[in-house]
Parts: sequence; structure tokens; C-alpha cells
Amino acid sequence: MNYKSGICTFCGTGCGHLLDVRGDKVHGVFPLQNHPVSKGRLCVRGWNVHELLSTPERITTPLIRKNGKLTEASYDEAIAYLVENLSKYKKGAADEIGFLASPRSSNEENYLLMKLARAVFNTNNINLDSEPGHRTTLDVMHNATGMAGMLGSLEEIRKAEVILVAGIDITKQNPIIGSEIHMAARAGAKVVTIDTRNTQIAKLSSTFLQIRPGAYRIAMAYMAKVLIDEKIYDAEFVKRNAEGYDAFAASLSSLSDADVAEKTGVTTDELKAVARDLAGAKTAMVFFSSGISGFPKETVSYILNLFLLAGKIGREGCGVNPITGINNLQGSYDMGIAPDLLPGFQAVSDKAALDRFGKEWGVSLNATPGKTVYDLLATNKLKALVVVDHDETIIRNAIEISKLDFVAFMGAYKHDCMNYAHVVLPIAEYIATDGTYTNTERRVQLSKKKVEPEKGILPGWKLYATIAAKAGAKWNYAAPADVMAEIAKLTPNYAGITYDKLQALGGVKWGGARLDADKLPKKLSFAAVAGNFAVPQASEEYPILLLVGEAQHYWHQNNLMKKTNLPLREYNATLLLYPQGYVAISPQNAKELNVRDRFPVKIVSPYGSMEAMVQVTDKVKPNTAYVAYFVDEMVTKFFMEHKDVLKRGEDATIPVRIAKV
Amino acid sequence: MSEINNLTIPEIATIEEIKDEIVEVKTFYLKFDARPNGEPPAIKSGQFVMCTVFGAGEFAVSLPPSPQKDRFHLTVRRVGKVTNALHELKVGDKVGIRGPFGNGFPFEEIKGKNIIYVAGGIGLIPLRSSIMHVMQNKDKFGRILLFLGARTPKELMYEYNLKEWKTAPGFETHITIDNPVPGWDGEVGFVHTMLKKKNIPVKDTVAFVCGPPMMFNAVIKELTELGIGEENIISTLERHMKCGIGKCQHCAIGRTLVCTDGPVYTFRQIKTLGEQI
Amino acid sequence: MYLIKKSQVSDIAKELQKEYQVYGPVVDKETKQTMFVKADDIAEIDLAAPIPAVPPKHTVFPHYERIMAYNYDPQSKKVDINPDFDDKPKALFGLRSCDLTGVICLDRFYLGQEFVDEVYKNHRKKMFIVTNTCNVPFKQCFCVCTDSGPSAREGYDLNLTDLGDQYLVEAGSDKGKALAEKLGLAKADDSYKKKKEEIVDESILKFDSIAKDNKAWVSRVVNRVTTGLIEEKTWEYIGNQCIECGACSFVCPSCSCFNIVDSCTSATAADRIRTWDSCSYEGYTRMAGGHNPRKPVEDRRSKRFFCKLSYSQSKKYLRPGCVGCGRCQWVCPGDIGLPNVVTYIRREIQK
Repeated sequence: MNYKSGICTFCGTGCGHLLDVRGDKVHGVFPLQNHPVSKGRLCVRGWNVHELLSTPERITTPLIRKNGKLTEASYDEAIAYLVENLSKYKKGAADEIGFLASPRSSNEENYLLMKLARAVFNTNNINLDSEPGHRTTLDVMHNATGMAGMLGSLEEIRKAEVILVAGIDITKQNPIIGSEIHMAARAGAKVVTIDTRNTQIAKLSSTFLQIRPGAYRIAMAYMAKVLIDEKIYDAEFVKRNAEGYDAFAASLSSLSDADVAEKTGVTTDELKAVARDLAGAKTAMVFFSSGISGFPKETVSYILNLFLLAGKIGREGCGVNPITGINNLQGSYDMGIAPDLLPGFQAVSDKAALDRFGKEWGVSLNATPGKTVYDLLATNKLKALVVVDHDETIIRNAIEISKLDFVAFMGAYKHDCMNYAHVVLPIAEYIATDGTYTNTERRVQLSKKKVEPEKGILPGWKLYATIAAKAGAKWNYAAPADVMAEIAKLTPNYAGITYDKLQALGGVKWGGARLDADKLPKKLSFAAVAGNFAVPQASEEYPILLLVGEAQHYWHQNNLMKKTNLPLREYNATLLLYPQGYVAISPQNAKELNVRDRFPVKIVSPYGSMEAMVQVTDKVKPNTAYVAYFVDEMVTKFFMEHKDVLKRGEDATIPVRIAKV
Repeated sequence: MSEINNLTIPEIATIEEIKDEIVEVKTFYLKFDARPNGEPPAIKSGQFVMCTVFGAGEFAVSLPPSPQKDRFHLTVRRVGKVTNALHELKVGDKVGIRGPFGNGFPFEEIKGKNIIYVAGGIGLIPLRSSIMHVMQNKDKFGRILLFLGARTPKELMYEYNLKEWKTAPGFETHITIDNPVPGWDGEVGFVHTMLKKKNIPVKDTVAFVCGPPMMFNAVIKELTELGIGEENIISTLERHMKCGIGKCQHCAIGRTLVCTDGPVYTFRQIKTLGEQI
Repeated sequence: MYLIKKSQVSDIAKELQKEYQVYGPVVDKETKQTMFVKADDIAEIDLAAPIPAVPPKHTVFPHYERIMAYNYDPQSKKVDINPDFDDKPKALFGLRSCDLTGVICLDRFYLGQEFVDEVYKNHRKKMFIVTNTCNVPFKQCFCVCTDSGPSAREGYDLNLTDLGDQYLVEAGSDKGKALAEKLGLAKADDSYKKKKEEIVDESILKFDSIAKDNKAWVSRVVNRVTTGLIEEKTWEYIGNQCIECGACSFVCPSCSCFNIVDSCTSATAADRIRTWDSCSYEGYTRMAGGHNPRKPVEDRRSKRFFCKLSYSQSKKYLRPGCVGCGRCQWVCPGDIGLPNVVTYIRREIQK
């Protein structure tokens, strides 16, 4: 049959699909009905994935920059050139070599890239671009529960009686998860959305609390306080399973009803009702974004603590669920794509773990954690950078990258980063090789090879192995399955995972269907919190709170979406209307400013200013404004001056004033 | 219309001349490579073609009157990726043409009537075709008036035509710009405000209106207040089009398809389409 | 009418394979999903398989196809245009009547209006259709509400009806008759006509107990949809649940909207690609320059149901656009497949 089963590789949901493969071409796609997560549904991206897989904008040959121009080369030449240049900095590798890995690469490819960085080029400087987002969330989860991932299960959404959706435009960002929540609502679940914007899921919820920007933390903390004050928290569960209750309870004592109402912009009665629903329900889940627009550490900690208090962790139909935006973001952290992490969230500084890897790899590894590429770029010490297929946000550091001695780019599709590269190595598309991807709920799924790579182009795992061999290392992998065998051997939570087991539809979830409170190796602990409930304040000078967030179809400067037609058109439906980027404001503010939709305005903050068009929408409340952070101008010009703001994710709020131009 | 043999595959035409009209607007004169003397296919004024810019894509564009009255040409504003690519082409370059498609203006039905043209900005592009047709057949119609509005004098289209029309016997032109600028001694104000001032004929009168939505609505309001019936107001609609032959459905408005049922509609029809225009 | 033993019914497909690419319902071994696909081996085709997830629409209107390729040399000013129409002979074997009705709608729409769609005509011109009567409905079916089943009445070359140990074979065209004669099928006498009617009647009776997923009293809402007398808030309620994935259009046997793009292989060369498109997408009606007449999602939703349920659109198909297959309800992330929409409109009418 020409329809071959596979995994959609756009977002972290990990939907199942069938690709219409004829020869080496993909002619269409169809949803997979028996897939445990997507159950026969796909979103606009998934329904058009064949457009990406048919794009002529692929990298078809290795390239070496000669006299300023990228020139065709053989793999042999290009790999030799790469190894020769990287080797120059091997001695100072701790500061001079950096690897920017891709959250879209398969587990096998990321594992080998990590191994290449650590075992061959002596550096722990390897990272993704989501340290402020998913990594923060994983740290909170890991410290509190021992599980560095989503605690619940997507398959159990319809078993949740109460579903809290916090600050995530989920029907746009992960539409099929949004659909599951909607289906649960239709079957009687109570869906509560807490958001600063009136999103689609807000409209589909039984309760929508439109809170003020930056007030998620205090809202969550207050609900926890309600559970304690009204003695409706799950005292037995907390006593039996958790540590740190007293300290957490004490941190809430400073909250006053009046303060909460003022800071959140909703009544405490409304928050109390949600808290009571949460306590009264047998099962409850919370969803929030875990990508770059995720919450800061404190907010995630309060969410976790609230659910711990309510006893809605570690049971069927329950869970704290951070949702990843990119298909293998979770898997990338699982594979140790972080300066301080080995696969399986084992610390580089953990000597026993490091020795296990060193022994298996036959090298001695550096126990000092590395630095992220961005930190290295900021200190001007970095000399050589290797970038793998990535969203184009990385180019926000274009100036620093263009000054580097050596830049290598590896990827399947043409990318603006090639403009800065000294060598470019093509990687076969994901359908031209086997590979596994770990979705947002820790589900490891196998995507099987469906076509032959174009004109002898190497799949990523083979390319990395070839580079390693050229650099003198002896790796022995005949196929990606061999890489998985090694991963399983060294990574406790991947232990026992084999390609044979992954053949089953839906793959294998590491850590089980969900965190299981009955099988905890050690007690859960409340996340440590600082008890600081300040919220960003508008002032007379800067009366409007500007929020930074995501937008439909297009995360970051999504290089993949640019290679499609229909999804790109849908994205353009927004962006072409607002070619200079847009800032969404309420009709009331528009009236005050005397502007209509698409009028140009100037946005001034204490840090800088920019021009954009206004989008007038009732999705935002008066005196708040919203900007999708992917908008080019914003990222490269505005946010460059706001690195600290970017780090604060969805809670990122900047007081601004907006003026008509 | 069944004789059209370029329904799916475009025929090739050569750009013979390019004329700069106003900022971002150019007129491209074309010769059809495979037709005798390069003459275009038969055209009814008000129809459109699908134009392929090789290496960019295809877009819909309104047509001049029949070839007997002028050389075949397309006046195109630079608005998107494809029109952008067209603007980069030079004389001698090739484009692809499918069509002509669409219903065209209903000249037979309006014989003997007074005609008022009201155009805003580049709304003159499709109406010009009708004006040229009517000018050639002046004896078949009553009074002929043109009201043309633009934001600034620089945005007035087809100056060479305007010059000719201004002095043409039996043809009244009223040109206005939105705000006064130095050196402009003509009318100032929005085009719809001119209609009542100029004592236009109302009985046995047909109005052709084309322009941006705000201007369009204001003009319609004035005309109906003056007593010109909705069935006597004619406009031509623009839509996102892909096939031009009534199949892709991108241009559907309510129950009609602009490509085959339109693009020319009376305002009465437009009102009953049941969608925004 | 003819008869053929059940064990020999694949002979028809095998005979067809000599001349045609044979498509039929195939159950994927790994995923257990039924797909209507080209069968490499006739033995893969399973006439008893559940209704295919993908309708046979893609055989005449592929998800993604190249309709021409061009290359322009700006130096020599030479243009090469190569049309790429697919006119391979195809046989659709074991089509359900709802899906045949979808093809008939497409025929009337693509071939029967002012212009003939050449791309479609080429797909369709050398086609042999063998339909299969549904003796038992599936749980999502409502073809009895849309007059498109459970047995095909027209448009087939051969129609099969399961009689237990044999199939009744009805010829619907000269081509079909010729094939039956060529295979030397036994003639069936007139009594079989009655037998088939009984089977169809029984099948219809089974809808109440089996086809429980969807009820869509289409005829009750056609008038409302046509006149547009449906309250804004009903469309808003429906629109709020639309996730804008396009799935309803893609799985609909009669949805015909397409997009055309030039997929550029160089600055002056491209493949002209025609793909499925959906009126639920925001960019569908957006014009270059940004004006979008149909921006709110509820505007786009009402458009699709207008297409499926209005008299004016039915004039193009000579029947309602909905064929009662129930697929849109399967794939809809918003739970607003056509049957649910019909329910909401009826609810409003009853109020």
C-alpha cells in the first residue's frame, strides 16, 4: 500500500499519519485513525506536511565557502574541512567550540551529535534554543517528582473532570491536544481557562478568567491558599506522598484577598470557585506552554504545588502537563542536549554517570558543565560553531555569528544561517531514515524510513558517525536501531526501549503512562518558592502592558513552514496583513488612540521603541497589548534589547506606551 | 466561449512595451506569440485574464476593451509576490495568459441610457475599458460623465487618456483629489461629494462604480439617495482567484463565482450575495 | 444481471487489472486502517472491509499533483510548457455508493458547468467503476438521509450485491456489460431484482440500530441554509469550535476546492501544483494586498455548509452536496462535522 504510517514532526503532540509515498515522492497525507493521541485527526500543518516533503528548497549537496561563495563539494571534502577546522580549537574547546542542536532532530541524531561534541570535540557546549522555556519547566518537574517531563497523559484527557488551561493558546499551538480538551468539555468535563487573552479555548471553556499580564503566579498561589484555608486540599495524599508542605504553606501567608484581586484583575470569588472545583473533582489536569513562551520557574512551581496540594498528581486522569511546541523538544533534553546534562537528565557533574558514558565511549569526559552557545557568543570567546537544522531565531545573533572564525551548518532545508556558514552539510529528510521522536508526554515513537535519500545524501546519524570517524573516533552503528540500543543502555528512562518494541502504534512512553503515586522511588516534594508576588505595573508614562506570546502555525522564525504553501499562506494571512509586524490592542485603546486596524503606531518602552501596525481585537483587554514574538522586527530589533524579558516567557510583560504615527 | 483553448495551459505572450502609470502601477502591452499578427483572442470589455509570471505564479487582472480599440495590455499594481515579479520584467520578456474569462459589461442592456462613471484611485483600471468602449460608440448612449477621485494628483491614473477625455465632445469629466496641494487647481474633496454638486442625470441613468470599499460605500449611498436604482449601479468585483474557470472556488461569494458569474455585477446582485464584498 | 461466486469475484478485478490500475479498499496490516488505494495485488482488496478512511476522491482529484511544468530561459526568451495530465486508465473496485455519489457530484461540477476542467477530465476519462452494495451500514453512515445509498443507482459500470455465497452483478453501462459477458458470468433472472430490493430494504432498516453515530436530517435544513435565515449566533457557536484544519474538506467525497501554486525549482522554472484546499482556511479568500472579505471563522464555516446543503449549490450537483458518509465527523477536531451542524440548525428551527 502506498500509504505508509509515520509520525507528524511539526509540533510536540506527535500525531500519527499515513504518508502517500510513491517512489521517492510524497503525494499526500492522511490521519491515522488508531493512533492513541491523534485518533484520526490532524491540524492544518499536519494535513499539509507533504508540501514540506516536496519542497525544492532542500540542500542537495555539501558546500564549502571559497572566496566568499558557497561552492559545491563532496562529502569527503566537506567533512575533512569541518574536522580540520574544529580540531584547531579542540584544546580550548571548553570556550571555543559550540554546538547548536535542533529540537527537530531525532533522538538518535541528537544523541550522536551530543556524543560528537563531548567525546570527539571535548566540549560540553551543546544546547538548544529553549533554555528559558522547557528546560526551566523540566527542572521544576524533576526536582519535585524525579520525572523530567509531563506528569500526565494525553490519552487520559477525557478522564479528567477538571481541566485547567493556563496561558496557552492550545487550539492554535497544539491543535489536536486542544481538540482533546474540547472533546472532554463536550463530554462534561469542566474546562477552566486562565489567560490574559481571550483565546479560542477560552471561548470553549465553562469558566474563563482573563487575568492581568504577569499575574499567573499570584493566581495559582492564591488558589493554593484557598485549598489550605478552606481545608479542602488532599491532606492524606500530601502527608503520605509529599515533603515540604509547611514551607510552602508558610510562603502563602502574605497573600491578601484585596491584593490578589487588584493584581489579577479577577475577583477572588472566581478564583475560589476554581480552587474548589479543583479540590472537589476526582481528577484534574493542567496544561501550559513549555516552549520558549512558557512560564518562568516560580509560576511553574506554583502550578505544580497547587496540583500536589489538590492530590491531582500521580493518578489516572491527573497531571501537570507542560506542552512542547516542537516535535522533539522533550527528546532533545532526554538525549542530553544541554551543557550540564547527559542523557536521561543525568548531571554532567554526576561522576558515576559520567564514568558510565566515558567507559562506554572509551574516552575520558570533561566533568565541568559547558555553556550555552548564546552565553558563549555574549562573551566573545567562541571561535567555532556547529548549527544543526534549526528555526531561524538563531540569526538574532547574526552579528556575533558572522564574526566567528568557523561556522558549519547541517540540515535538510535551505536556511538563512547558510549565509554565515563556511561549510554546509546536507542531512536527509526525516522520512529517508529511521528515527525516534519523543512527544510532549514522553511518548517515544518510531518514524520509519519511507524513501531513499536524495542523490546519496546522508541521514544525520550516518553523517555524524562519518565526521567522528574522520576525527579518529571508532563508532560502530549499522543503523539507527544500534544507536537506540546504546541510548537504552546508558539512559535509565530509556532502558528497555528497542526498535522492536517501538513498532507498536503509539510507541512506548518512558516513565509509564503517567507519574504513578503508588510507585514513587522517593517522596514528592513541593517546589521551593520565593513567595514574591509582584506583578508588572503600568505607570502613567507607560500605561499599557505589552505581552509577548506565540501565534498560529508559526513558532519562531519557522524555517519549515516557509517551505510550504498552504500553511505558509495561513501564516501570511496574519503577517501579510501586517507586514511590519503587529501589536494587538483592544477596541477601547484603539478608540483612544484614534487608530483603526492596520494603522501604524509607535511602541515605546523604557528600553527602546519600535514601529508596528495595530491589530484591533477584543481578544485583549483594555490597557494590555499583545505581540507575537516571531515577528521579525520584534525579535531582532526590539527583543535584542530585552534579553531578560525573553527569558521570562509567557509572563514576559513590558510596560509601554503606544502612540499614533 | 468554448473556443478558448487556454483554459488550463497558458499561451505565451511577449511584452512589447511597458508604460509607467503612477507609483507602483505599470501597463504592459502584449503580443500573442502563437496568434496571427500577435493579436489577442476576442475580448468583451469587463473581462479578465489569468497572467502567469514564469517563476513566480499566476494572478487575475482586468482587461482593456476589445483589440480593435486598443492594443492588448494589462495595467497592474504591485501588491504581492507575483505582481512584484511582473514589475521586474523587461520588454521582450514572456508571460503566460489564460482567458479571457468572466461576463463583461452589459452594454447591450444599457443602450440609450446616460452613463456615469465613478472611480476611486486604481478603480479606474477596470472602468477605463468600459469608458473606451462607450467612447467608441457614443451615439448609442446618452450623456456620459466621469467622476474620478484620487488621494493626490500623483495618483491619477492614465493621464494621457484623461487629457483626451477632458476635451472629448459629449464627455464630461470631473476630477477631484482628497486634499488641496500646491499646484492643483482642480476640484478638491472626496469623489462622492461631487455627485450632488454636479447635477447628474438620474432618469435613464446607469452608474459604473469602482474603487476602495470606503469610497464604494459612500458613492453607492449618494447615488441611491439621488434616485439611481440599485439595479442601475454596476461594479466589477475583485477576488482571490486561482483557476478563472469556476472550479477552484476561491472567488465564491454566496452562491456566485466571481470568475464565471462576474466579475461585473449590479449593486442589487451584490447586495443579495449575502457576504461582505 | 449476472451472478458470480464469491470465491471468484476477484476475477473481475483481475480482468480489469489487464487494462487498468485497480484501486480498491485495502486494510493496512500494520495500522488496521482501511484505505481506498491502488492494489498491487488483487488479493489485498477486501470487499467486506469497513468504509475506507480516505474516499476515492484522490483517484480523480489527487491531494497534490503537478498539472504542468515550465521553464523560461530569459536569455533566449524561450518558454517550455509541458502539461502533465494524468489519464492513466483506472478501475475503482468495490466502491461504496456514497463514494460513487461523491464522484458523480465531482463529475457534474467539474465537467458539467460552463467550462470543463481538463485536469479532472483526464483523470476521469478512462475509468471503470465497480460499486458494492452495503448490506449492513457502518456506525457513522447516514446515506439514507442524503439519498446516496445503501446501493448505487447510477454511474457505475458494474454493481455488486452480496447474496451470501455469490454476488449479484448488475451492469450499468455497455462497458460493464461487455466485461460481464467476456468473463462468461451466469445470467441472473428477474427474481434476483426482488432479492436485491429486499437486501437493500433490510439494510435501510438496520440504520436505526447500527448507524447510531450520526443523524443528519438534511432535508429539514436545506431551506434554512439556502435562504440564510440562520441566526448569527448559531454560526458563531459552530465557528468557535472550528480549529481550521481543513480536514472536513479533505475527507469529503464531493469537496472540490483546490489551490494552485507554482513550486519554483529555479528563478524561472516551476512545477504548477494543484492541491486540495479548504474554505475553512483564513488565507483561502485573502487577496494580494491583504483585503479578506471572509475573515471571521464563522463566515468560512457557513460557506462550507452552504456548499453542502443549499439548493443553489445542489443545482450544480443535481443533488445535495453531502453524500452521508460521516467522514467529516470522524476527522473533525472541533466536533462540528456536518451531522452535528445539521443538528444545531434543526435545534434552532425547533426553537
